Amino acid sequence: MSKFSTLDKYTPTVGKYELLPFRFESLDNDDVVVTNFVGEFVILKREKLNDVVGKKLLPTEETYSLLRSRHFIKEASDSASIELLGLKTRTKFSNLRNFTNLHLFVVSLRCDHSCGYCQVSRQSENKAAFDMTEATADKALEIVFKSPNEAIKIEFQGGEPLLNFEIVKYVVLAAKKKNEVQKRDLQFVITTTLALITDEILDFCKEHKIYLSSSLDGPEDLHNQNRPRPGKDSHARFVEGLKKARDKLGYDSVSALMTTSPASLGKVRDIIDEYLKHDLDGIFLRHLSPYGFAIKTKSYKAYNVDKWLEFYCEGLDYIVELNKQGIRFTEYFASLLLTKMFSANDPGFVDLMNPSGAGISAVVFNYDGDVYASDESRMLREMGDTSFKIGNLHTNTYEEIFTSEALLNALDDSFTMSAPMCTDCAFEPWCGAEPVFHHAIFGDVLGRKPESEFCKRIMGVVKHLLKKMQNDPEAKDIFIRWANKC
Amino acid sequence: MKLIVEKNVYSLEAVEKSAYRFIDRLTILISTDNENIICEIEVVEGAKEGIENLIANFKRELLDQQLRKQIKHETESARNLILAYAFSRTGLQG
Repeated sequence: MSKFSTLDKYTPTVGKYELLPFRFESLDNDDVVVTNFVGEFVILKREKLNDVVGKKLLPTEETYSLLRSRHFIKEASDSASIELLGLKTRTKFSNLRNFTNLHLFVVSLRCDHSCGYCQVSRQSENKAAFDMTEATADKALEIVFKSPNEAIKIEFQGGEPLLNFEIVKYVVLAAKKKNEVQKRDLQFVITTTLALITDEILDFCKEHKIYLSSSLDGPEDLHNQNRPRPGKDSHARFVEGLKKARDKLGYDSVSALMTTSPASLGKVRDIIDEYLKHDLDGIFLRHLSPYGFAIKTKSYKAYNVDKWLEFYCEGLDYIVELNKQGIRFTEYFASLLLTKMFSANDPGFVDLMNPSGAGISAVVFNYDGDVYASDESRMLREMGDTSFKIGNLHTNTYEEIFTSEALLNALDDSFTMSAPMCTDCAFEPWCGAEPVFHHAIFGDVLGRKPESEFCKRIMGVVKHLLKKMQNDPEAKDIFIRWANKC
Repeated sequence: MKLIVEKNVYSLEAVEKSAYRFIDRLTILISTDNENIICEIEVVEGAKEGIENLIANFKRELLDQQLRKQIKHETESARNLILAYAFSRTGLQG
């Protein structure tokens, strides 16, 4: 063996670089956003991008070290770049190994509200045929504890789950009993309007550490308009229920979600102010989805993606201004996207997962024993479309349910890394497959992305976030905080 | 209208991908002869932009797609290596 390395080892490598895999997307005429293999990003002038690809970038330039540090380019001696990208890729997809975490129990389709945009097609209160039975709940729990995931979340959905609270109690007690042996990190959530909450229910929630996820659409008039119920007192009941629940369970045990109805447009600041009034620390500016009564009553068609984006961007800008004034308040949809933009962690939000989170991240047990790949899948079922029914608790095994053709085909066919347009899109690492939405609109799980409102919505929000960060360093600091929440 | 692009400048793949990205605004029929790729272009009914603007943007997209193809080609081995590292020791290699 020679005492000296060969001559080529002494050849200077500085300034000679290779490209690592990256994608780019135009922001406006002059700027492009460039994302690497795992979604780390840099905004460049278009001419600079051409210089990068043409190997004209000089090592003395700031862009050179920026791109090298974020693994867009590598010098011959940078042997760690590829390994680091490999590790980050592994982290990004690590949720897949854990498999299903969220198990939704639709304990009743009955509801005391009659919202025009209801996406689950609720039934009137007195139809016990729409309640889950103990036999069905038992079967569902068998499936829950077959999940390999250490963390198990059971979420009770409706209709209004409190109308069948007996089965909620039954499931909680039975799950805890099973967990004495299983020792999982077990968590319960009830999705409720809070209109029917009682002291007895709250006592049970306190005893078993059950979180409450509620709904607040905005100020009283808007909320009551969106969420009609006998007595027209949905908002008042929410406010009263919120206070009671916070007093009993603690301040952070209750959260709220809003839905953007046609009546919400133009009122985003009022809606956010209402959230602040009730000391909620954030809002999810949620668009309507094309399911259930949202289609029947034409609510979904009443505004398009451009109108929603206008609503969303105004709201986001307002929230950023509030934060600048020292009011800590988060927009949760942005926060999900920003987590993906600023870290290798996947927040596990079903709509923004690839492969789709349907079945993998969440699964739905319907009141009648049918199993669906996601909440949206069971919403489609109430419209007569059972494409995403992946089995039945009474007739199928765990293995049959999670290897069903309905699930595997949807995951495979919608995979964004091989989908036309997505495969080249710089936003793909931050986006999701959303097979159920595309099936509902296009009749196939892939859909045509240039025509897809989902694609337009994600692109619109991401571009707004990027431009905001580019033009406003203070906004960027706020966004980084949202992305790195504990 | 007809847009003719030279085969030795643009690949068929870049033209196809550009056409796909404009599928909501333009209907593009692609054919080839010995030297050129020919795009027969019609504006989709109800498109908000005028044809001149759409064609100008389509031409920019052609450049982008050609550049994307170049990056993809040049980084193919790195991409495979990253995936090999990512999925090593997962028990999924068969």
